[in-house]
Amino acid sequence: MTAILQTQKLRVEYRSRELRQAGKVALRGLDLEVHAGEVFGFLGPNGAGKTTTMNVLLGFVPPTSGAASLFGIDVRQPIARQRIGYLPELTYYYKFLTAEELLRFYAKIFGLARAETDRRIASLLKLVELESAAKRPIRSYSKGMQQRVGLAQSLINNPDLLILDEPTSGLDPLGRMKVREIIQRLKEQGKTVFFSSHELGEVETICDRVAIVHQGELKAVGTVAGISAGHANLEQAFLKLVGFQPNPAS
Amino acid sequence: MKVSPLSTLAVLLAVAFTLATSLALPAENWSGRAKSDNLFGMLFGDGRKLFANHFFTMADVYFHSGYYPSVFDQNAVAEKEIISTSHGKKESEEDEKNEDFLGRAKDWIDAFGRNFRITRHTHLEGHNEREILPWLRLAADLDPQKIETYTVGAFFLREHLDRPDQAEAFLREGLRNNPDSAEILFEIGRVYRESYHDLDRARNVWQLGIKKFLARPTDQQREDKLVLEELTVNLGRLEDEAGNYGPAIDWFERAQKVSPTPYALQDQIDTLRKKLNAAVPLTPSKLY
Amino acid sequence: MSKIFALAGVVIRELYRRKDFYVLFVLTALLTLAAGAVNFFHDDKIVRYVKDICLLLIWVSALVIAIVTTARQIPAEREARTIFPLLAKPVSRAQVIAGKFLGCWLASGVALVVFYFFFAVITGSKEHLWPWAVYLEAGWMQWAMLAIVIAMVLLGSIYFAAPSSTSTISLIVVVGILLLGTHLKVIALQQPEPLQSILTAAYFFMPHLEWYDLRDFVVYDMGRVPVRAVALATVYAAVWTWIFLLLAWLGFRRKNLTT
Repeated sequence: MTAILQTQKLRVEYRSRELRQAGKVALRGLDLEVHAGEVFGFLGPNGAGKTTTMNVLLGFVPPTSGAASLFGIDVRQPIARQRIGYLPELTYYYKFLTAEELLRFYAKIFGLARAETDRRIASLLKLVELESAAKRPIRSYSKGMQQRVGLAQSLINNPDLLILDEPTSGLDPLGRMKVREIIQRLKEQGKTVFFSSHELGEVETICDRVAIVHQGELKAVGTVAGISAGHANLEQAFLKLVGFQPNPAS
Repeated sequence: MKVSPLSTLAVLLAVAFTLATSLALPAENWSGRAKSDNLFGMLFGDGRKLFANHFFTMADVYFHSGYYPSVFDQNAVAEKEIISTSHGKKESEEDEKNEDFLGRAKDWIDAFGRNFRITRHTHLEGHNEREILPWLRLAADLDPQKIETYTVGAFFLREHLDRPDQAEAFLREGLRNNPDSAEILFEIGRVYRESYHDLDRARNVWQLGIKKFLARPTDQQREDKLVLEELTVNLGRLEDEAGNYGPAIDWFERAQKVSPTPYALQDQIDTLRKKLNAAVPLTPSKLY
Repeated sequence: MSKIFALAGVVIRELYRRKDFYVLFVLTALLTLAAGAVNFFHDDKIVRYVKDICLLLIWVSALVIAIVTTARQIPAEREARTIFPLLAKPVSRAQVIAGKFLGCWLASGVALVVFYFFFAVITGSKEHLWPWAVYLEAGWMQWAMLAIVIAMVLLGSIYFAAPSSTSTISLIVVVGILLLGTHLKVIALQQPEPLQSILTAAYFFMPHLEWYDLRDFVVYDMGRVPVRAVALATVYAAVWTWIFLLLAWLGFRRKNLTT
């Protein structure tokens, strides 16, 4: 199978601002491969290195050593991000723009033709159910609506790979279900989805494969069934892999 | 103890009112600003005089259409000339126009930069002199005691803009603010004599000017003696014009005592003596 | 190039959706109209002081718009974290810098057009003269100068996280150059060593923004500056703009945006 997202011995070390203080190692030689068409869950406790991995993949943070590529192109090249969609954990959009203007702006960044842009904006606004609010500034949106705008912008270029950072965090149950539905639909369309999450139940439901990372190191990678083997469920396997010792009294 | 916010507010307002009534009188002595009769005085206090000087200089900058030395131009100090009544006199204007405070370009940056600066020494003319007036008006408002503002403004209004009525009004305002100014009285006299040809009023005003001048302390008289010279010389010319040659000679002789070039006045005195000999004499005491 | 224009479009949209520009324009208009309404010595032909005041307000407003708008671009993107979805698209950091610069510069240009049109209407109604070429030249030179200023502020905003620090420092530097630029060498010559050499070096190495101030030519009806000089000054502005943009890119390209 073709690996469309790949990291090799990826190491990221944040330099300390304090003199004589060692830097913080966020990733320690991470090797990861995500294949075309799969839904890949990226799991780990807080501070495990999930966000750092995503930051490297998206070009926000340069790796200290090792390599990372998208579709075989080094992530440092902007063109590597031509076929990806990214949904950040929280909504970070220009609040003075309307949803339609925001989508049009990103469409221009992807170099989409005007007619194609109009078509995609219409279908995405319909998908995220924001047609009636399309001409209102984003600042007037509720949190859920902002998250839906985020989802629409991540799909504006009809991406082959979708990178989602905790896509359901902060959403109500209805919103979560909607996101899961969209991920499922993308999978059916043959798209690749790479997402980080704390929601292990959610991961179990929709992921083909998962990776568990802890303290910057890859602890396990494989199918949900493979990792869960020998444990009651994925959560138990996860807790064991990250070295969590349950209190016998509880 | 529970205190209602409304009653607290009422108490605070009552205290503020009481303090205001008792502090109003002593506060009047804290600063003269509040008593000032114009807005600038209230806003800036005595600091307004600094602005007045700036605006007076602005009038000069306008008169030279922006060709003006900055504080950094080394040769500027000697050449910088505040607009004065000497402007308008052909010879002094031509001399001034030949002055070049910029000198030779120091380097290519300076040379290139001169493309974007006014480098021609010109003076406003053809009634464009009116453009300096707003700055003089502001300077007068900011510093009503700056006598030069009134005299310069009146000179341009009268001599270049044919507005003796405005010149007189401006000078009258200056006189109200500076009742002992011989300089302003001299300029008012010029308006009467040169614009209205009213010799009697000009004479009265100039004589009052001399009286005011002589009331000044001796050392100040010595410092300002040119004013006395101008008053006496102009009174001499006025009497000459009125045919009162005797008094004219008297004034020129008084002028000689304070003039830096007394010999120049001697010619006029000699001419007047000839005229006097040819005419019926008048008693000077009748004239003033 | 379309990506750069798309980025610039967002900056322009932001400017006209904020109140800064309108407040400054209304303030300029009100002060100019108030100054023009004053009657000095019953002479209604006096006009140069109105031109002077209006142009001064235009200069101050344009500088404030350019500096304040530019200073907040990158820090606001980082603070609101909008930079992340943006950089997750196929856009390079150099394009972000270029887009931000272009947006701020075009926005300043739009502001200048509005301001100069107002100026032309006010002075034209008093003087009955419409020296469009002179206004165009003065406006162009001011816009060229704003390009240097915007690039410089953009550079500052890479290093100073707070837009207020960047704005204040930039304003001091710009006003300092405008007031002292021409005279720095004269000041240098009056100083002891090594200050003399430092100031002389600064005189040659600083962007001479004061060249771009043609207000005197407009106010005193002194005609136009030679076209060749304007062309050379434009090239000089372009060079300095590139220098600052290059430095901004060097600072931004490897910057860790997550801290």
